[in-house]
Amino acid sequence: MSVDSFSSRGFPAGPVTLAVALVTAVFIALFLAGVGFGSTWMPLETVAHVLLGGGERAERLVVLQLRMPRVAAAALAGGAMAFAGYLLQRITRNELASPGVLGVVDGAALGVVLFMAIFSDEANALMVSVAWQPLAAAIGALAAITLVFILSGRQASSAIRLLLFGIAVAAVAKALTTIFMLVGPIYQASQAARWLAGAVNTINWSEVQLMAAVLTPTAIVAALAARHLPPADLDDVSSRSIGLNLPIYRVFIFFLAALLTAGAVAFAGGVAFIGLIAPHLARLLVGRARAAGILVSSMLGAIMLVGADLLVRVAFAPLEVPAGTVTAVIGAPYFLFLLMRKDKTNG
Amino acid sequence: MFGAHLADITIATQTGHAAVSRRVWTYAGLGMVLCLTMLGSLVFGYKVYSLADVWLALSANDGSETATVIAGLRLPRAIIAPLVGAALGMAGVVVQTLSRNRIASPDTLGLNGGASLAVVVATVVFGVQSLVGLSLAAALGALVTSVVVFGVAAGAGGLSPLKIVLVGVTFASLSHAVVEIILTSNEAQLQQLLFWLSGAFVDRPISLFYNGLPVVVLGAAIAFALSGALDVLHADDSTASSLGVPLVLVRGLAFLAVSLLTGAAVSMAGPVAFVGLVVPHLARRLVGLRHRHQLAAAALSGAIYATLADIAARFVIYPVEAPVGAITAVVGAVTLLVLLKRRLA
Repeated sequence: MSVDSFSSRGFPAGPVTLAVALVTAVFIALFLAGVGFGSTWMPLETVAHVLLGGGERAERLVVLQLRMPRVAAAALAGGAMAFAGYLLQRITRNELASPGVLGVVDGAALGVVLFMAIFSDEANALMVSVAWQPLAAAIGALAAITLVFILSGRQASSAIRLLLFGIAVAAVAKALTTIFMLVGPIYQASQAARWLAGAVNTINWSEVQLMAAVLTPTAIVAALAARHLPPADLDDVSSRSIGLNLPIYRVFIFFLAALLTAGAVAFAGGVAFIGLIAPHLARLLVGRARAAGILVSSMLGAIMLVGADLLVRVAFAPLEVPAGTVTAVIGAPYFLFLLMRKDKTNG
Repeated sequence: MFGAHLADITIATQTGHAAVSRRVWTYAGLGMVLCLTMLGSLVFGYKVYSLADVWLALSANDGSETATVIAGLRLPRAIIAPLVGAALGMAGVVVQTLSRNRIASPDTLGLNGGASLAVVVATVVFGVQSLVGLSLAAALGALVTSVVVFGVAAGAGGLSPLKIVLVGVTFASLSHAVVEIILTSNEAQLQQLLFWLSGAFVDRPISLFYNGLPVVVLGAAIAFALSGALDVLHADDSTASSLGVPLVLVRGLAFLAVSLLTGAAVSMAGPVAFVGLVVPHLARRLVGLRHRHQLAAAALSGAIYATLADIAARFVIYPVEAPVGAITAVVGAVTLLVLLKRRLA
């Protein structure tokens, strides 16, 4: 992802580079603010000091053990969901597609809840390593998106029909999740409810490491695969005629998108609408440039979730309102706006 | 598509006696099944009681544990569930005709969500405690949501069935999120949270029934009064207006009926999902397209459906009780998939 490739799709390098730099700056600022804010405000120079290896014991504990994992997890999850959304929107040529409306998020959540319900003993302790949790999420996510596409069949070419199939599958998964949540380790059913709504407040470093271990390789493969995404304005026949093997390639992209979403949902829960909005904003900022689009989408996704998490901490402290509710409140009107604007192309 | 419906209507009016006696049998059968399911709702549960126990508890409550469970815990849900189911079923019929859309329902149009948001706002923000106040708030929430959803969908390029539903579902998830924010920031218990997010008949005081009944009856009365106009409206606007149906008035009153029915249901049981989607299809299969009969059959089969779902909720993850809204959501969403698959929407 050199600066060269940003301009390779015929966009002037100047504005794109500027946008990337701007988004990076905002991301870093929010990241630091996310670490700084909390029950006690920590000045940014202290945060920077601790990050560079200094600081007192208490400061180090708060920054490194309590706040950093939370912010890092939010950034990873938001970025992964935005990337997944970018892939889905490009491959379905459907601006309204996202992991949420295609059932991927709820499928992953169902996978996790089933996993907890099946593999916990009488005392509600997990009998197997928590490291299997992302796998369960991935299976759920893949099952959901596969189901959506099998059921919709030929109707998948209509943007709105595809979404309705996705919404229906998501509703089934969500309802089953509600039921099984009460079967599993109920000792913290309310925490489970909050997790479903998307929250990163209880995450620790080992979970962040696991997240990174799942998401980094997937993201790299996806970034490589994305180089072969057909130009946004090409239909199936034309893509095939220039030598793109669409059906297999499409399945592969769906697989990667599901995996990215699953890695995020397994730890951060069902955060809504980031996968929808971030790619749109990225396109507004950098146009259709591919590498820049992916980079900026992911960073915007990270910004949104870190920002939402920061907002719930500042606005609702000391209560822990799930960050996913904030993204839903912002995302739902945006989706409606897209529906109203896009009716001619998506009807 | 409309041609087929009109043909059905003419067939229904021509078949005369055979159809009438068939309908009588259908209603009688539905009534019987409803009585049986309500009885089942008293008998089955964490503990299964005998019919003799039920009779004793209801006729002479001696304060024993059995009597307390049956009369105090199971009786309220055995009568609230059918009322809610009937209300949502009728609301579903009216909404599907209004939007000429077989996948419309109080849920897919966001009305359930709007109503529960209104109730939560009324309780938490304005401190409304009275049950009447809450029912009115719920009805108002449903009414406002229906206006907004139809407005936004119209703005999004015509009232195509799929688009209305997409807008409605988005509104539902929006109100879901706001309800969640309000409740978690007020330290509500999970029980309360689940109730307002997915609906339940557990632990509802019987006073809710007496309070919801008049609202449901009023909504149903309006809907039945409109049934002739709705029959015509089902075809298309120009036919309806050339037959002398005052479109605006009929639509307005129909929305009022839907809001009253949905509002009453939500104030009694929370947003029990997709009942209004499934039941009208069942009703049409049973009695055809005339709205008078559709509404009656929807009320009866909705009552049966909700009661059965409530009984099933006690056993799905026995001994824990599942939220009934989750059960109806699974059934409803699968129905939605089938309808989409068959391109009925």
